[in-house]
Amino acid sequence: MIKFENVTKIYPGMSSPAVDKLSFTVPTGEICTIVGPSGCGKTTAMKMVNRLIDATDGAIFVLDERGDMSNVLKIDPIQLRRSIGYIIQQIGLFPHRTILENIGTVPQLLDWDEARIRRRAEDLVTMMNMPVEFLDRYPHELSGGQRQRIGVARGMATDPPVMLMDEPFGAIDPINRNILQNEFLRLQQEIKKTILFVTHDIDEAIKMGDKICILNVGGFLEQFDSPANILAHPANEFVEDFVGADRALKRLNLVRVEEVMNARPPLIQTTQNVEQAAGFMAEQGIRFAYVVDADRTLKGYVRVRDLKGKTGWVDEFVEPAATTIPLTTSLKDALSEMLVVDYANVCVVDAQNRVRGLIDTNMIHEAVIESAAAAEGEEA
Amino acid sequence: MQAEKTQTKAQNRFWRELLDGWMNVLTQPNLDTFRAQRARADPLKTVLGVGLLGLVLGLWALAIKPATLVTEMRTEAILIDLLRMIFFTEADFFIISLLLFFIARGFNGIGSFSQQSYLLSLVTVPLGMIVVAFLFVGEKLGLTLTAVLNPLSPVGVAGIFVILFALYGFLLLLFALQAAHEMQSSAVFYTFGTPLVAWGILRIASMFAAGEENVITTQWAFIADQWAKGTAQELLLGHLWLVAFSVSIAVVLGVTIGVFITWPAQRPRLSHLVILIPLALFLLLWAASSGLLGEGMADQIASTTKDWSRSLKRIDNLYFGPLLAIVAAIIAKPAAVGMIVAVFTIILYALFLAGEKAGDLTLYIAGIILTIPSVALFGAMIKPLGIGPFNAAFALILYAQLPILRNTYTGIKAVTPEIVEAGRGMGMTEAQLLLKVKLPMAVPVIMTGVRVSIVMLIGIASIAAYIGNDTLGQYIFDGITRAQEKRYYAGAILVAILALAVDYFLGWLQGRLTPEGLKGRREAA
Repeated sequence: MIKFENVTKIYPGMSSPAVDKLSFTVPTGEICTIVGPSGCGKTTAMKMVNRLIDATDGAIFVLDERGDMSNVLKIDPIQLRRSIGYIIQQIGLFPHRTILENIGTVPQLLDWDEARIRRRAEDLVTMMNMPVEFLDRYPHELSGGQRQRIGVARGMATDPPVMLMDEPFGAIDPINRNILQNEFLRLQQEIKKTILFVTHDIDEAIKMGDKICILNVGGFLEQFDSPANILAHPANEFVEDFVGADRALKRLNLVRVEEVMNARPPLIQTTQNVEQAAGFMAEQGIRFAYVVDADRTLKGYVRVRDLKGKTGWVDEFVEPAATTIPLTTSLKDALSEMLVVDYANVCVVDAQNRVRGLIDTNMIHEAVIESAAAAEGEEA
Repeated sequence: MQAEKTQTKAQNRFWRELLDGWMNVLTQPNLDTFRAQRARADPLKTVLGVGLLGLVLGLWALAIKPATLVTEMRTEAILIDLLRMIFFTEADFFIISLLLFFIARGFNGIGSFSQQSYLLSLVTVPLGMIVVAFLFVGEKLGLTLTAVLNPLSPVGVAGIFVILFALYGFLLLLFALQAAHEMQSSAVFYTFGTPLVAWGILRIASMFAAGEENVITTQWAFIADQWAKGTAQELLLGHLWLVAFSVSIAVVLGVTIGVFITWPAQRPRLSHLVILIPLALFLLLWAASSGLLGEGMADQIASTTKDWSRSLKRIDNLYFGPLLAIVAAIIAKPAAVGMIVAVFTIILYALFLAGEKAGDLTLYIAGIILTIPSVALFGAMIKPLGIGPFNAAFALILYAQLPILRNTYTGIKAVTPEIVEAGRGMGMTEAQLLLKVKLPMAVPVIMTGVRVSIVMLIGIASIAAYIGNDTLGQYIFDGITRAQEKRYYAGAILVAILALAVDYFLGWLQGRLTPEGLKGRREAA
């Protein structure tokens, strides 16, 4: 848990505050994104937690190892910083140190023995889906996305309960950023850290945050709420402008395909013959269907017109599917994927490529209407 | 009639183009002029142009030294000699051009022989004629080349023009070759340099083969003789040890100051006294030992060291003798050492407190120190520090400061702020940040500064011979006082070889010291 209580920061020689009477609480195990235009003090707010900047007034509390809330100003800053994970853009890796030494920075400061550091680093790179051999390389030998994963691993080296992330994915290209965000969200489901995540990108804030803290210039808190609520009920004109005119579309980011997909889609088995398959599709009133084997592993799809007048087994007519989407994909990404391949529906698969459901544009449409209705209902 | 007119016109245009070419090349000396001329390349123009030069040369030779050219001043003989001169000029020009052409091809030149010859002729023909005119007029006025190049002769100033003219001609030749072959400037230099170097090597080799006495053989013999006597090694080692000793102190001092002036300003604290008081006490005792308390410990140390030094010399240990002499000389001056260390401590402490506020001022002062002529500084320090290695080391340490501390300063400042921020955010103390992040990342830059200062000190250490140090400068000063060329050449050559060798070694060392991860970073970026 991180708790801000009337936190104010006035830089020496400045008349107006950089952060103004900020109060909010990040519950344990949740990600809180701080977002706002440049000059809104979002980075200042974050750096006050690990005392890279000291607050002028007010207090910040973090949950310490004994489970007590302690005021950060009462803790020695060096000890405090070592106990809080700190992740910045990939440029913050030490170029003269190997990946192992980079990840081992804080453990080394805490005098862990070398074998333990190596073990921990191996665990972390494996967790980040990277080979253990990377440990002996230098940052410049890795791609931007890989370096950023190392940056995240470095922040988690001592498994700190609280982590600060300062625009960690800011300098990455959109495709890799999306991959990294998804990876991190999946990871967060396991590790359940309390995270303060600074970004200037409202889409990222909505996607990553369990809570969003929207700041205005001068460090003034405009709204602190869950992404769904912020999109449904912007507190004022500033927030409305900031989240953008497409906030209805942004809600698609908040829903995952597994929540709205058809979990019992019509499927054809590879063991069926052509007549059975054609009969099945006629019965269902569909023009094509996905084909799976006995484990529900996706093989491809068949079309009615390909089977017309043919005999034999289905698997002779299977064509490979152009795309599939994982369970945790947001509706927005799913929709964009469908538009890209020009399919009316797409298979939802798990990590072993087994079909778990089917999603089409109608389901997405209904989901949008439902969430709007739910928001209205709450309002009423 | 009409055809004749066209022919005349064509002939006119041909000569006008040739003249234009010469004028353009002389008045607009740049690559584009030559590129434009390349399109007009014509073997006939080249042959005619060079022939014209040959004719002028022949006429000049006839006018100046008729006896060498013609035995009997008969018309046929004159004509034959003129033709012979034209022929030899053409032959020389084309043989040299062919040679350059083949070398240029070796350096990836792409131009044709005809283009290259034409462009070269555009430079050589008009310039050659100007030279001939100069020589012709000069002969009449007593302006021989020796007189002109001698700054003390009445017409010595003209030498400047001759040198400028020669440089101008050389520049034009470079342009011509570059335009003809469209190659890199370095390749042009190599093309011209290869035949010259080859000629030089052959010439020297033939000198040695013939057993002729010349500058190089005498020089070689002198150095070999000095080496056999052991004097050269002694001076070389004295030189090296003086530089090494000064640099090791200068690096510690320079890097410390460089680090201090990147610091935020500090407040004086009581805990600082823990270091300052013992140091003050030590210095006080040290200074007192110079005589206030009778025969001081410093004197004892000094005499003991001298004994070591002597005994080491007795067992023919050449290598550490000079170092021990330096150490002994320094220890023998306890009061001065104490004073200097005290002053430097005060300066360092002040810089420690002032931190980055003092950055600009410190670099400025280090810059000023470097502008003091070394002889003046050596001279000024004779009174407080005496003559010998102590004085020399003091001055050398001061001179080495600027490159070292400036590079430390810029090296540390150049560390990306995000990297420092990352280290600080992960809980590094300021000292850990410095030792684990900032300094390792600044090592390549600092080492460059150390290299620069070492090579510079090798030069300045020669001058330290002036105040009684056994360095290679001894040869230079001896050579000057005894008016023996071979002596000061020997000094200069050995100093140059030493500087090059040490710089090469330091380059290797720099590669080894640079953190592995920083090496490939430039390619990656």
